[in-house]
Amino acid sequence: MSGDRQTIEVSRLTKRYGTVAAVRDLSFTVAPGVVTGFLGPNGAGKTTTMRMLTGLVSPTSGTATIGGRPYRKLSRPSRTVGAVFDASAFHPGHTARDHMRVYAALGGYSDSRITELLDLLGLAEAADRRTRGFSTGMRQRLNLATALLGDPRVLLLDEPSNGLDPEGMLWLRGFLRRLADEGRTVLISSHILSEVQQLVDDVVVLRRGELVAAGPLARLAGPPAVLVGSPDAARLAAALRASRRDGDALQVDSVGDGRLRVRGLDAPGIADLAAAHQVRVHELVTESTGLERLFLDLTSAKAEIP
Amino acid sequence: MRHLLRAEVRRLLATRLWSGLLLAAALIGGGMMGAMALVGPENFDPPMPGLHTEAGIRAVLGILGYTAFVPAAIGTLAVTSEYRHRTATVTFLFAPRRWQVLAAKLGTYGGAGLIYGLLLAGTAAAALFTATATQGISLGLPTGSVLALLARIGLAMVVYLLIGVGVGALLRNQVAALCVVIGYLYVGEPLLMMIPGANALYPILPGGATASLTDFTYVADAMSQELGSNAVTLVPPAAGALLLTGYALAACLAAVILPMRRDIT
Repeated sequence: MSGDRQTIEVSRLTKRYGTVAAVRDLSFTVAPGVVTGFLGPNGAGKTTTMRMLTGLVSPTSGTATIGGRPYRKLSRPSRTVGAVFDASAFHPGHTARDHMRVYAALGGYSDSRITELLDLLGLAEAADRRTRGFSTGMRQRLNLATALLGDPRVLLLDEPSNGLDPEGMLWLRGFLRRLADEGRTVLISSHILSEVQQLVDDVVVLRRGELVAAGPLARLAGPPAVLVGSPDAARLAAALRASRRDGDALQVDSVGDGRLRVRGLDAPGIADLAAAHQVRVHELVTESTGLERLFLDLTSAKAEIP
Repeated sequence: MRHLLRAEVRRLLATRLWSGLLLAAALIGGGMMGAMALVGPENFDPPMPGLHTEAGIRAVLGILGYTAFVPAAIGTLAVTSEYRHRTATVTFLFAPRRWQVLAAKLGTYGGAGLIYGLLLAGTAAAALFTATATQGISLGLPTGSVLALLARIGLAMVVYLLIGVGVGALLRNQVAALCVVIGYLYVGEPLLMMIPGANALYPILPGGATASLTDFTYVADAMSQELGSNAVTLVPPAAGALLLTGYALAACLAAVILPMRRDIT
């Protein structure tokens, strides 16, 4: 089974709490082999959707399937899906190994698998310490170790970057990349785009329980634009256009006030070119991408909701 | 189901709650019974019949029965800690058939309750016989009857532990569930005994059913005397046992059926 490629399919999913719809008519798919970011401001319905995906919360209507089957219909769910919802989900009096032993028993996995995972996640030294004293990073790794007990083909992580230091983030990025490269399906949620931008290939963006965008990050983000301010803007524009080679997507637009918006060349490239042509540059700003602007709009629009 | 049982046993044995449970059984059984036997019920305030009488023995055993709120609280604590520490999410991810998880918990805690009851009854017997023998008191009941009464109390402890598990699974909030369990068993039921009319219910409540196992009416009698109400008549021991089993079954059913459709958030 370990070569299986499992697709997540969410179709017309709705969850109402009384009159409030936490998730509304939501449809998207998550492909195997890539890391998909599930993005949206706090309260957008990300966690509710992920909990419906794993049978913890019952949808009002619609379906959510993994490899074509609802979670509760999977014969040994922990073999197919590994999910992490809470930053800390351990009995404080249990050691890391105690915790793993409970869930290894539940899923029917051997004690050697526990040792293997504790080693893999760098918890071998802390294995026999009570989780009470664990740091955020250690908790996150123990969560992951538990989720990976059944060597699942699908990994769902709710806000995994919460509270992680830059080193932890770097580690997580490498770890998830490796899992995706093995053909696994990886879905991670976040309310902070910049935290996962380096980490994800595809994105699904949610706002107030509804889908606003889905697709490859590169396509949604659009080409990055650089704003250049120069007293010799016309000369710089000519130099930039002259530097264009066949097949380049270089685009230069004058936006007035001695400013140019350049797409297809990054800020260091523009600075080098300007230096080579002895053109003075007073301003050089990389503008936020399309997705960043979209995300910013979403988060600020949230404030207007009564 | 075997997997689930093994998981629950591992979960229980790895916590300090387990050693706490054993310690409580030995302290309440051996410690409390030993102290009561050494002091002698005739020296209690108010004084009760001495251990050389049948009523005296039933009195100390009845008081032992009043400690049933301890295993009940431990059962509640165990089951609600899954929600408090958010491990319930992980558990239901691994075992989406939730009734099976709760059934495994009830099985595990039924076993733990049995060990608690045996330890409590065993240490209480040892303390009672040793304390009375050293004082040269001959007990007002044959040894066999004392042991039979103690066994009944031990079994009642299993029921109470399961009731605790049931209430915990029902309420999920640890503090609230503990307040309900301890509050009702320790304070609520004795208060009910004082209310004219409501005290007619006492024989069929868990406390009354437990008292009937040892035919312990001393507290109830004292209260009705004080208040001038009718004396409480307990149900026969067999009916009390049946009632307690019924309460345990109700608690188990509630624990198994109610979590089925609830959202785990």
